[in-house]
Amino acid sequence: MTTYVPVEETPNETGSERKNYLNWTSGFWSWAATLDHKRIGIMYLVGVTIAFLSGGLFALLVRLHLWKPEGALFENADYNQIFTLHGAFMVFLFVIPAIPGSLGNMVLPLMVGAKDVALPRLNLMSFYLWLTGALLATLAIVLGGFDTGWTFYAPYSIYTDQAVVTIGLAVFILGFSSILTGLNFIVTVHKLRAPGMSWFRMPLFVWALYSTSLLQVLATPVLGITVLLVAFERLYGIGIFDPRLGGDPVLFEHFFWFYSHPAVYIMVLPAFGIISELVSVHSRKPLFGYKLIAFSSLAIAVISFLVWGHHMFTSGQSTYAMFAFSFLTFFVAIPTAIKEFSWVATIWKGSIALNSPMLYTLAFLIIFAIGGLTGVILGALNVDLHLHDTYFVVAHFHYVMMGSIALAFFAGLHHWWPKMFGVMYDETLAKIACGIIFVGFNITFVPQFIMGSQGMPRRYATYVPEFAPYHHWSTVGAMILGSGVALMVGYLVASLFAGKKAMQNQWGGVTLDWQTPTPPPLENFHTPPKVTSEVYDYSTLDLQTLRTPAN
Amino acid sequence: MFAHLIQDPKPPQHITNPAPPEAVDAYGQLTKLASTFHDVDGLFYFTYGVCIFFFVLITGVLAYSVVVYRRKTPDQPAASNVTHNTPLEVVWTVIPLIIVMVMFAWGFKGALDMTNAPHGARQYKAVAKQWNWTFSYPNDPVQSYGELWLEVGKPAVFMLESTDVLHAFYMPSMRVKRDVIPGRNQRVWFQPTEIGQYHLFCAEYCGDDHSKMYAKVHVVSAEDYAKRPWDQWDDANPAKGGEARYKALCSSCHSTNGSPMTGPSWKGLFVKDGSGAIVGGQREVFVGGQKQTITVDEAYLIESIKNPEAKKSAGFEKNAMTAFPDLPDREVKGIIEYMKKLAEN
Repeated sequence: MTTYVPVEETPNETGSERKNYLNWTSGFWSWAATLDHKRIGIMYLVGVTIAFLSGGLFALLVRLHLWKPEGALFENADYNQIFTLHGAFMVFLFVIPAIPGSLGNMVLPLMVGAKDVALPRLNLMSFYLWLTGALLATLAIVLGGFDTGWTFYAPYSIYTDQAVVTIGLAVFILGFSSILTGLNFIVTVHKLRAPGMSWFRMPLFVWALYSTSLLQVLATPVLGITVLLVAFERLYGIGIFDPRLGGDPVLFEHFFWFYSHPAVYIMVLPAFGIISELVSVHSRKPLFGYKLIAFSSLAIAVISFLVWGHHMFTSGQSTYAMFAFSFLTFFVAIPTAIKEFSWVATIWKGSIALNSPMLYTLAFLIIFAIGGLTGVILGALNVDLHLHDTYFVVAHFHYVMMGSIALAFFAGLHHWWPKMFGVMYDETLAKIACGIIFVGFNITFVPQFIMGSQGMPRRYATYVPEFAPYHHWSTVGAMILGSGVALMVGYLVASLFAGKKAMQNQWGGVTLDWQTPTPPPLENFHTPPKVTSEVYDYSTLDLQTLRTPAN
Repeated sequence: MFAHLIQDPKPPQHITNPAPPEAVDAYGQLTKLASTFHDVDGLFYFTYGVCIFFFVLITGVLAYSVVVYRRKTPDQPAASNVTHNTPLEVVWTVIPLIIVMVMFAWGFKGALDMTNAPHGARQYKAVAKQWNWTFSYPNDPVQSYGELWLEVGKPAVFMLESTDVLHAFYMPSMRVKRDVIPGRNQRVWFQPTEIGQYHLFCAEYCGDDHSKMYAKVHVVSAEDYAKRPWDQWDDANPAKGGEARYKALCSSCHSTNGSPMTGPSWKGLFVKDGSGAIVGGQREVFVGGQKQTITVDEAYLIESIKNPEAKKSAGFEKNAMTAFPDLPDREVKGIIEYMKKLAEN
């Protein structure tokens, strides 16, 4: 890789104050109008964190309500709004944009050795579109809320007397934010790689973001069209989904899942990318099966367009459709399994540092194993006919969305936190919080697998009393999980004010993001980097940088 | 251990042959299977076993690595820098591929069995509306609401209809689920194998009282089934039958406590006069666009059930009500008796 350039030798360093992207200018407009990918990444980080905490608050209300079979807190209609808000906030405002928007923006240009993304103004526009979408979603709550579930299934979403058009507009705008970020990353990866960085010298986080971007650009327009059609149906009665006007509600399901299944991979591929980086750095070992992991990201991106029908096995689609969708669903399990095995093989015989990013990574590997394997159970056609729309499905996708994607996000956040801010959080607290989150998460969702397999339907404000013990466990687990997250947010924020200085290369990474001063200067690299060695070649690691404090 | 999930402790009086206590696998996850779809459970436990195998394998290797290869000094390099092992990679690609193809074929075969109802299956109809179920029986004019009776051992096929939004017909013990879609003909079949009482849930989110959209399913012996237990009409107590119809057909739009819903509340339709006798109350209605005050009587109520557009209650004149022209006379009478009974409270 490039030779590390110590800050002392930087030619354009003047004065005693070492300038980096955080302190080279200050004031509101220096952030609000910034074109710097790193500052935009941090604005995203603040935004998606607020969205995550709001969504988490709704989740806790859901769990508290379900303490009693007849419902403990709300009227049924209010409960329906709250679970909808939980789903919509988490999916559209957190899980989809979180990793590409914050960590992707922050790290991708650094990793490919570029000064910035290819289209910095578009990048800022993506952020403001996200912000507009988030504000509109909040406005929709003020305007009476929405109770359709995050899936907006017709015809209920057409008949219900709530702010569906407003939230639809929010989703439409958020979709454009996602598309533009994807476009930006694609161009950046194609055009701005440093000299010597061939495609197969790109870090796997870059590969993952690249595959994600392809999906964002190709699939998201379908979601935009679908919510637009729902809005037209509500406003003008065009009769495409409304059966009273000759429309077909199942068509809505097809449109919706044609986007939303690839969207599952829009959410999870960046998480895979983070984990690929972290298992390598914290095991100090080149990734096992680098090319296979890179290609499996692309394979997943392609196959994910062809499996949407597995969300609709109970909708009465033809036998041939069921055959094809079930077959392809099982097929997508293979590249996913290859990734998991490759990560485990990377850790095997590594030099494993049990620091907090690695603990989050190990938690991911365990939870994702469960999330992925239970997906295989759901792929089996006749079993799915029993489990569809039960808590088994709820538990499965929380193992993927919360347990895997959010944990990978936390892992990446802990990994790049010292790079972003030049400070370290309290490692002991971080390890404790990781343990609390892991335990709380499993207590929350293992009971949901059990009650789901026994027939507890999802989206129920009340339930038959037999399921009460499982709901009690789940609610207790959610409180533990919530306190773990609160602790995490607490020590991370505290580190910004009272954190110890991080090291230049806190974890011993050898990708380009660790070859530049910490925190990075405005233009990322004082001298344009050249790549001369293979990716993840730890023989090039300059051990001195592990002990040099950040600027 | 899960027997309580599917057994109602107190079966109704007229069922003479209550179900025997059932044995359930102590370690099992699924509720007791009560239909002929054995394949669902077989494949579930097979995939479950495969999942446990791989989960133990993955966590085992992770745990071993973390203990044995833990970094002891800050500068310690990896014990190995191997990045490829072609035989290993082929094995971990091909073996999962074979396993999932077995699961696919097994699941598809099972789903085909669940799609094609046998010839001669009894044809029932289940109508879903927000938020209740109405069941029709083969060659029988009497419907049941919120409860269903089936004969053990006889395949039953259900025509599914929705009058409003998406619903789903879900019986966990029978392992069947099928979406009920307005404007589409959907069907589902199963063959109950055990006498007992079972849950029927709505599994597709359908609005406010989605979670209350429930029916109790009684699987009874041939002898009990022949007694037509769904025909519970008691001529001596028509208000009781009327209340059941109210809950099934009317309660999503009409309250009985005075609070307005989509339609006017039934409170005050009948009132007690000074002597304690129950007489019709006063209502403001629109007749052909003209507002007038009428005294509620049976003729007005029968007309409003069968042809609701004739006289519209003031304040609700813009809301359309579903008409029930075919509701049997005794049930219309029963509903009116129930309305009268409300005045006593």
